[in-house]
Formats: sequence, C-alpha cells, structure tokens
Amino acid sequence: MSDIAVKVSEPSLVQQGLLNEDWLAVAIGLLVFALALFSISGTDLLGWAVTTSVYTNVAGALAPIAKAYAGLGGVLSLLLTYAALLLVLGVGVSTLGADVRKFALAFTVVFAIAYASWIAGSYAYIAAVTPAEQQKFGVSWSLKLTNEGGFVIALLSGLVIANFFPRFAAWLKEAIRPELYIKIAIVILGATVAVTAAGRLNLASSLLLRGAAAIVEAYLIYWAVIYFVARKWFGFSREWSVPLASGISICGVAAAIATGGAIRARPAVPVLVSSLVVVFAVVEVLILPFLAQTFLWQEPLVAGAWIGLAIKTDGAAVAGGGITESLIMAKAAAEGIKYQPGWILATTTTVKIFIDIFIGIWAFILGYIWTNHIDKGPDKAKAGEIWQRFPKFILGFILVFAMSLWLAVGTTPEIAKALPAAAGEANVFRVIFFILTFFSIGVLSDFRKLWQQGFGKLAAVYFVSLFGFVIWVGLLISWLFFSGFKPPLVS
Amino acid sequence: MSQTDIKEEINSAAEPLLPIEKKLIGWSLGIGVSLLVILIAVNHFAPITS
Repeated sequence: MSDIAVKVSEPSLVQQGLLNEDWLAVAIGLLVFALALFSISGTDLLGWAVTTSVYTNVAGALAPIAKAYAGLGGVLSLLLTYAALLLVLGVGVSTLGADVRKFALAFTVVFAIAYASWIAGSYAYIAAVTPAEQQKFGVSWSLKLTNEGGFVIALLSGLVIANFFPRFAAWLKEAIRPELYIKIAIVILGATVAVTAAGRLNLASSLLLRGAAAIVEAYLIYWAVIYFVARKWFGFSREWSVPLASGISICGVAAAIATGGAIRARPAVPVLVSSLVVVFAVVEVLILPFLAQTFLWQEPLVAGAWIGLAIKTDGAAVAGGGITESLIMAKAAAEGIKYQPGWILATTTTVKIFIDIFIGIWAFILGYIWTNHIDKGPDKAKAGEIWQRFPKFILGFILVFAMSLWLAVGTTPEIAKALPAAAGEANVFRVIFFILTFFSIGVLSDFRKLWQQGFGKLAAVYFVSLFGFVIWVGLLISWLFFSGFKPPLVS
Repeated sequence: MSQTDIKEEINSAAEPLLPIEKKLIGWSLGIGVSLLVILIAVNHFAPITS
C-alpha cells in the first residue's frame, strides 16, 4: 500500500505515523479540494499555483494555472506554491511530532530537486509526442515520454541520491514522506476521477464493479500462493511469511504492518519486508508502464488495471498509472486516436482503492486464525482491529469523489460546467504530490543497504512471485475484465 | 534485531506447514477461483457499457 522504508530500530514510530498520516492526508487533501471549489463561485483561491508546459526555452515553461494570475509570472508562482506547501505540510508534520525546522530545510531541497526534475521532464526533446508537437517546438526528435517523464526523472534523481549520496539522503529524511504525499494526492484525485466519471456514468459504474475482481485476486489468490511459496519453497517462518505475502500481494507497508501486527509478529519484521517492497516497486514503475505502452496501448483499460494489480505500493501504482496513461495516450495520439484523459488513471486508482479497503478485514481474519489456532495466548484478535487497521485516507478519497460527483450531476448546469476547472486547479497539487512521491520513493531505495542486510532470500521470493505469477495473473484478470473497452474519445 | 540475527533467522530451519495453514491456503484459493469464475460470468452477461 505505501512506500515508506525505515530503519529497523524505529518500528513503533512507523506504526504510529501510519495512523496519523492517514488523517493528516485527509485533512490536507480536503483543504486543497475545498479551496479549489471556491472557483465555482468565481473566487479563485488557487489560481496562483504553478503549472509547467512543454518547452524549448525554459523561461516560458512555468506559469500560474489561472489566467487571472498570469501577472505573477512563472517564477513567483513557483515560489508561492513552494511557500504554501511548506506552510501546510510544516503545520501538518508538526502534529505528527516531527522536527519542523529540519522538515522545512529538507523539504526545501526535496521540493527544489523534485520540481526541477519535473521541469526537466517537460523539455520538448523529452516530452513532445506527436509529429505536430515536434514541429510546434521545432525539434526533429524526442523521447516521446510526455511531460510525465518528469516523474521518472524525479525517481531517478532520488535513486542517485539514495545510492551514491547516502549521507545527503539521511539529511533529507525528515521530508521524505512518500506515504503522506501519495495519500494526499489520492484524496485530491477523487475530484478528477469524479469529473471523469460524470461524463460517462455507465462506463464508470461498470469499471467500479470490476474492482471486485481485484479484491478476489489480491487477497484470495495472490496471498495464498505467495504464502505457500514463502513457506514451502523458501522455508520462511510464519512470522516472516505473513507480512511478506501481504506486502507482495496486497500493497506494501500498510498491508505488511497490518497483517504482521495482527499475527503478533515483531514490529521489525514487516518493516524490513516493506523496504523490499519499495525497491521492487521502483523497478516495476521503471519498466511496466513502458511495457504497457508497447504491448497494451490498444487496450488502455487493461493496461490501467494491470498496473494497479502488479505494482504493490499505492504511490508507485497510482503514479505508475499516471505515467501509463500519458504514454498510452501519446502512442494512441500518434496513431490519430485521442482518448479522453483520466480513464486509465481512474482504472488504476479504482483497482488500488478496492484492494486497500479490505486490508483491515484481511488482517482481522489472519489475526483470528493465528491467535486462536496457531499462537494461542491471552492476546486474542478483536473486531475493533478492523477499524484500527483501516486505511483512513480512503475515506477522504470517497468523500471528495462523492461530493464532486454530486456537484457534477446533481446540481445546476452552471456548477457542473465550472467543476472541471476547479478540479483542474486541485489537480495541479495532485501532480506536485505525485512528483514528491516519486522523488521520495527513489531516496528511500538504497539497493546496497538491502543486499547488505542479507535480503537475498526475501528478494528471491519477491522475484519468483512477481515475475512468475503476479504480473501474469494480473494481466490475465485485467484482460478478462477490461479488454475490448476503450476510454471515450475526445469529442 | 541486528543484521546477523536477520541473516540467521531467515536461513534457519523451516517450520512445517500446519493443517490450519493448509486449510487457509486451500480455502483462499478455492473461494478465490470460484468467485473469479462467478465474476467472469457476471462480466460476460453484464459487460462494460459506455
């Protein structure tokens, strides 16, 4: 589910942070959404936020999102965006008990590198996709990565820091919070998904129903097979196998920690497993979107669902869905097909959210079996743990989605017409939180550290499960449920 | 938990699968495959509409 990798000596902090970060993500996500909604009434409170266009001259790359704020210019808009994020996140992390001064210093550097990566990704030689765009920008070739290639650059920047400048990575630690960033982004994403869905309610509800297949696959099939592989083929103990199977089959840290806690594993075990999940997620997000573009561009929704089922952290999966959408739309555009944006990412997000919802229930089921049949003792699993382990940020996503959908289809045509622009302003912040997530995941992925800790056997389970099973079954299920259905075309 | 502990623990002798674990794996797969078949049937009779 999430992307945090931490020192073995700090498991209790991680567990506390997970609970608190969920509610903080809900609060910040709702704040952004609420401020964006003001634009419906004509009061534009977020129009100053910075956005980046594809460029050949970097001086013209940055601009405020709203024309009404054009006078600010790109650089001032960027500084305002940074200052606003610093203020909101600074207050937010102070409620988590973080050192605000350290956070502010580290966040400044994190934001600078992450956003610089995003700007670099918008360079026409990297981002221009169609021949028409290449002609527009006067470039004879380009990598055709779309401007979301900036996510990959941010990830690579983080990886370089983690693996070649470990002391610098340690100094940045206070602001390396991929889990918080992606949860805020997912809450905000609720508005974009609703606006997208409102245009084709039948298609959206059909897609939603298909999310059920993802739950069955992740919990009942992936988990059982990976647990068996870990126990029988690799000889891991139950204490290691449960978090490992959960981390690989469900979603990263929260699933590993929730189920690890449920079976009363020592806290360090799921935390160590989570570090491994993050590293593999990085590898996946660097490979799978490009494979999807090459082999699944004619089946965009299959690609979106596949990314959601194959990449095992919320951050990497949802952000990977964003890259996949850009790459596939670019490829389709080059073939003269223009899909409406948002559908592939919405499919990935739907699949991931559906999987997340059941973490608490699955943890309770395992906890019940373990405390009553395997490690019998006075500390029995309680039903209250379902709520305790429920990923609360999903409530924020559902609230934003429901409100946006109501505004889009249940109010006046004027409000419905103004809503996409409001969601668009919120989406600017969603993109920035995605960038921060990518960079942070990279910074946490110190490959050498994992090998030094003797993780070869754990990595082998992951490798065998992922490439021998998870990816292919995910592709099959995605194909069975989503093939033949395309996103609506731009009218 | 030190690095040596982790190495030793990971490479220690395997615990045999208990009957309850076999049941968990078997029932999970059984229910999972059955539900998938049902969902595939539902998907067939009520396909995605646009």
